[in-house]
Amino acid sequence: MSQAIYSLRLKVTYYRMICLVRFIAARNGKRYRLIEEHIVCFIIVNCEEVVELRKFSFVVLIVLLFVGLVFAETVTLRVIQVFTSPLRTKVLEEIISKFEAQNPGVKVELISPPYETAYQKIYLMVSAEEPLDIVEVGDWSLSALASMGKLLSLEPYLAQSQLTGHLVPGVLDAARTYKNTAYLLPNAIYVKTLFFRPEITSKYNLNNAPATMEQLLEFCRAITKPEQNQYGFDFRGKGYPTAFIDIVMTSFFDDIDPNCMYLKKDGKLIFEDKRALDGINFYLELFKTAPKDSINWGFDEQVNSFVSGITPYLFQDPDTVGLLNELLGSDRYRTAPLPLGKGGKAYPTIGFAGWGITSYSKYKDIAWKFLEFFNSPEINALWCKDYGALPVDMRVYDIDPYFKSDIFHGWTVMFGDTQHYQFTKYPLDNEAWSEWNELHESTMQQVLLGKMKPETALKTWADFWKKAGLGK
Amino acid sequence: MLLPTFALIFFINLYPLVRGGVISFQRLTVFTLNRPRFIGFENYRTLITDPNFWNIILNTVVWIFFSVLFQLVFGFILALLLVKPFKGRGLYMGVVFYPWALSGFAIGLLWSWILNGQFGILNDILIKLHLIKQPISFLSDPRFAMFSVIMINVWYGIPFFAIMLLAALQSVPKELYEAAQIDGATMWHRLVRITIPCIKPAITSTVLLRIIWVMNFPDIIYGTTRGGPAGATNILSVQMINIVYYQNNFGKASALGIIITGVLLAFSVAYLIVAEKGAFEL
Repeated sequence: MSQAIYSLRLKVTYYRMICLVRFIAARNGKRYRLIEEHIVCFIIVNCEEVVELRKFSFVVLIVLLFVGLVFAETVTLRVIQVFTSPLRTKVLEEIISKFEAQNPGVKVELISPPYETAYQKIYLMVSAEEPLDIVEVGDWSLSALASMGKLLSLEPYLAQSQLTGHLVPGVLDAARTYKNTAYLLPNAIYVKTLFFRPEITSKYNLNNAPATMEQLLEFCRAITKPEQNQYGFDFRGKGYPTAFIDIVMTSFFDDIDPNCMYLKKDGKLIFEDKRALDGINFYLELFKTAPKDSINWGFDEQVNSFVSGITPYLFQDPDTVGLLNELLGSDRYRTAPLPLGKGGKAYPTIGFAGWGITSYSKYKDIAWKFLEFFNSPEINALWCKDYGALPVDMRVYDIDPYFKSDIFHGWTVMFGDTQHYQFTKYPLDNEAWSEWNELHESTMQQVLLGKMKPETALKTWADFWKKAGLGK
Repeated sequence: MLLPTFALIFFINLYPLVRGGVISFQRLTVFTLNRPRFIGFENYRTLITDPNFWNIILNTVVWIFFSVLFQLVFGFILALLLVKPFKGRGLYMGVVFYPWALSGFAIGLLWSWILNGQFGILNDILIKLHLIKQPISFLSDPRFAMFSVIMINVWYGIPFFAIMLLAALQSVPKELYEAAQIDGATMWHRLVRITIPCIKPAITSTVLLRIIWVMNFPDIIYGTTRGGPAGATNILSVQMINIVYYQNNFGKASALGIIITGVLLAFSVAYLIVAEKGAFEL
């Protein structure tokens, strides 16, 4: 009998404990799942079997204290970046600590996988719904991530935010690549421009930047002296050379579709046009003014060669600015708008990167707060200045004279001259895009080595995109 | 008692293998991560009908054959030199064996700068010694690229052979050499008649292990050329990484992984049957 009473008393204590845990949880504005409640209570009630009642009260007190501590934990936002570099991580950490100082109780945990494997890591983490609140999304990964359905539409937040009124025109449109919905808030934009080294080129009486592609080739040929280890064009053969090939090829056109780099305004693929062949042949001529080794060059080698002065003409994104300022100093290089091609135009693309919020995040509102904080003019200026991207908030250009300085000449001209510089987009929402880069790189290398005819490469590219449903 | 071992083997070895096999029959790209669908042998078909596939196979054979051959020869010579004790042997062994302790990817990056055709230190040395006039594009000229990556792999793999063969050499009974010496055997005879037959099992198993490792070892090539230029150094395992990283097509990469496993399995059985002259049983 006493055993039965004892057991009943245990049950009563057990359920009292559950109520108590729920009560504490409710006061803290948190919900604990049923199983967690039971685990806490099971431990407490089982203690009663082995200790006397007085000791039991003591244990309850300790456990309550522990439970209280658990509930008082801070909110942790988990953020993952893609374009990891030591410089970038340092700036990011600085911004995070400012955010944490402004928001007590919020902790931001930064995950920085190496760039090479970052996309795969993010794809897999997000698809398995691993704890992540904020994900760095680049233009090239946007469609893949959004199509998984694991990114939160930011439209409701954007509708209420004052930030949108100050964004550089076109940025939000660019961010709405996938199903016309913004799944990220861009914080920096990337547009390629021409970098050159006046102290090297002036030795050959070339003081101005080339205004046209013809001039660029002429200048490069003039300074190429292999015996002196002096070359012209800073070529990129490996690791996503797509944009470099396209800048040259599309400059031979004057009718590129503003919505797709690979289509003409009549809806046909550019690769089937005779001008594409001229473009490729011109690209081969440019390659002749670059070191042969550059067929195996990626970003690092390009920058190295530019800094050492071996190849003083380089097409690159603004994030190179941060690196060059550190390696060369801001007075030893200049930028100029992309040279115009035979078509009298140049077709740059707006690349962008920013933060997205996972659809399964527990702290969506706090995550949005972080995004807004990151895009506030002061922080955006800090971010873009140290890292070397172009700010997305127009107010930054007024706040900080740095972005109006000479270094940004190339971009300032391109943004102001819409007649000659027509911005266009890559077909990033096409599923075939992820297979395109490898094909583009390897076929181009074969053409450069003389193992494949330019005509064959163009046909391969046209066939690839036709199969992917692009072009008439 | 067997259960924990079995569970461990199941989760660590068998499950990923089976899962990889299943994925290889699915269309699983980054766009379809949440909704893979079965497409039969489509992944395998695309791989095998790729015009570059046979070139990749040929590259893989060249890469394995020359890497392992030179590693074996130089590793054996090194082991023979180290078998007799001499002053400072420990330090010498430490220096000689250190490449083995480095990560393959780090080696790739290290050598890609050493062999760089523009700023590489090797070209610099060769030019200063007046051996060449123009820098050689070790990694960007298709004629040299495969040779260069094999050279790096040989540099990396020699210590492994040396360690394994040294251990085997030390277990050869001294009496055999003494008896041979009394019979008037030359150095060459002692090597061919005693040393090699005695350590043959060690050579057989080390070579087999190395072939499997070298085939599954994309690190060096990925760190230097990523299979380029124009596919000149592309081998099966590098192609698998390229399919994952560039194309984000996990189904196709798994199919290639299964092909690699199949080839290795078939090869290992054939190799052991030949090497053991029928003494080997499955």
